[in-house]
Amino acid sequence: MQYAIETENLTKTFRNGFTALDGVSLSIPKGHVVGYLGPNGAGKTTTIKILTTLIRPTSGTARISGIDVMTSPREALHKVGALIEVPGMYEYLTPREMLTYFGRVYRMDKAGLEHRIKEILELVKLSDWDDKKIGSFSTGMQRRLVIAKSILHGPEIVVLDEPVLGLDPKGIRDVRELIRQFQREGMTVFLSSHLLAEVSEVCDSVIFLDRGKVVSTDRIENIGNQLQSRTINVRFLRPLAQEEATRLMSVPLVEDVELIDNGSARLRFDGRPETSHSILRELLLRDFPVVYYTPEDVGLEDYYVSVMSDDRR
Amino acid sequence: MTTGPSPRYDAKADLQDTYLSFRFELTKHLRRRRLLIVAALAVLVPLLFYAFSVETAATFAAVSLSFLSVLIVASAALFAGDAICGEFEKKTALLSFPTPQRRTSIFAGKYMAAVLATLIVVAIYYAIMMLQVLHLYGAGEVPSGLAQSFASAAVYSTSAVSVVFLLSSVLQRSISSTIVGFLTLLMVLPVLSTILTSLEVEPWFIVTYAADLISDSVVANGFSFGPGRFGVYQPDFGPGIAVMLTYTLAGFLGAVCIGSRKSME
Repeated sequence: MQYAIETENLTKTFRNGFTALDGVSLSIPKGHVVGYLGPNGAGKTTTIKILTTLIRPTSGTARISGIDVMTSPREALHKVGALIEVPGMYEYLTPREMLTYFGRVYRMDKAGLEHRIKEILELVKLSDWDDKKIGSFSTGMQRRLVIAKSILHGPEIVVLDEPVLGLDPKGIRDVRELIRQFQREGMTVFLSSHLLAEVSEVCDSVIFLDRGKVVSTDRIENIGNQLQSRTINVRFLRPLAQEEATRLMSVPLVEDVELIDNGSARLRFDGRPETSHSILRELLLRDFPVVYYTPEDVGLEDYYVSVMSDDRR
Repeated sequence: MTTGPSPRYDAKADLQDTYLSFRFELTKHLRRRRLLIVAALAVLVPLLFYAFSVETAATFAAVSLSFLSVLIVASAALFAGDAICGEFEKKTALLSFPTPQRRTSIFAGKYMAAVLATLIVVAIYYAIMMLQVLHLYGAGEVPSGLAQSFASAAVYSTSAVSVVFLLSSVLQRSISSTIVGFLTLLMVLPVLSTILTSLEVEPWFIVTYAADLISDSVVANGFSFGPGRFGVYQPDFGPGIAVMLTYTLAGFLGAVCIGSRKSME
């Protein structure tokens, strides 16, 4: 199987002796939206810089659609569009001027390029700004323009490094919507981020990176299945009397009770669905006026904390 | 939509990328109005020399051309100062490098744009000066060495750009390479020439000494701004051009090699 992105034992040790990547092997199938998650300094950007030939690895290989980025960078980079960190902008140029240059670098013909620039500026909601100086753009607009540049030539793979960094909520929503659009168009998206919510919103699967090593890889839904809530939120019809609160603590299988107020409580248990069912039955048998009973949501965040090394917690 | 990738060492693709980079860089010079400002100086400065009342057209031209090397250095510093280090400092390299083109092509295009911008300034300067000569002295008095002077100015432009380009590849910040480039060509090398001359050593290998050909071609032992002229030595045209071409080539190649190996870590 040919992967969109593939690395084998990628290692990068900088001149100061710091090892940013320590044998990273990735296999990202075509058409997938994959999150590359890890804390700052985990090695995410280093991986992306190697994939886009900005830096060379100390050892290991990196391939884009089967093409080695070190030996055939021109061919490999033809297949990729990238947003890396927060790039500088040509502030005195217009989006049209900037995109025309990059379109010509990708050998797009004049007529096709003009049409494509119009199309992607509409996609990133910058069509009214095509002849305005980039220097007058907000951070979100500049980020959307760089994303437009990255997909200008219709790449198979889009690599996005912290694409929502520094954006306001609307900017974040716009970028997410763009990523979903790329997914609908069949592109492979490799999304590096340290923001869990961002990744869980748009990705099919997640690769967790910590201290230059891949610590976990899985599909979002599998991660969800692995996570079992150990807390049940219960709300009652009326505030519990003191005697009822005491009785609640003695319900079998309940390990701990936290009364939020007299109307609701958080019950800790072993996390098994069977136990949850038994506790509910016990509550009803003991005439607790339950109106709401649900296991507490466990997000990707809990998983993230669980897979990261101990001293990161 | 695209015509497909090219192999890594594809001379035609590299040349095309160089041309694209050259055009893009030139557009940037125009948009930043740097070219406009230096071109305006090239128009206005020669007009100031109307104030000098000199007897012959050749002397007038030599006096006027004495300022040209300053303008060439200013142009070189402005157009080449941030050409390489600016990409790293302002992080525009994160846009331009992860594309299917070699860094050498990008830098070669930038170099050519800086040279062309400087040559435009030089051409404007000569055109204005010629009009002044024609106006003041008539067509019959046009100095015979003007073509040689123009050739010297053109070659000095390429070497000045190369020196600043090399500094831009070595230094980290645009402002540093611009200022250091300006001072090197306007102060350091001329002072070195002065010292060597005072020691009775002809500084034939110093590019700013060779640049004296710009005015010396019109009037023997002409004029120049800044330190370095004692009138003892005078550069010869052939060796002078050769020295300037050597600086051009060495500076350009050194800059491209260093710039291409700069890390984006």
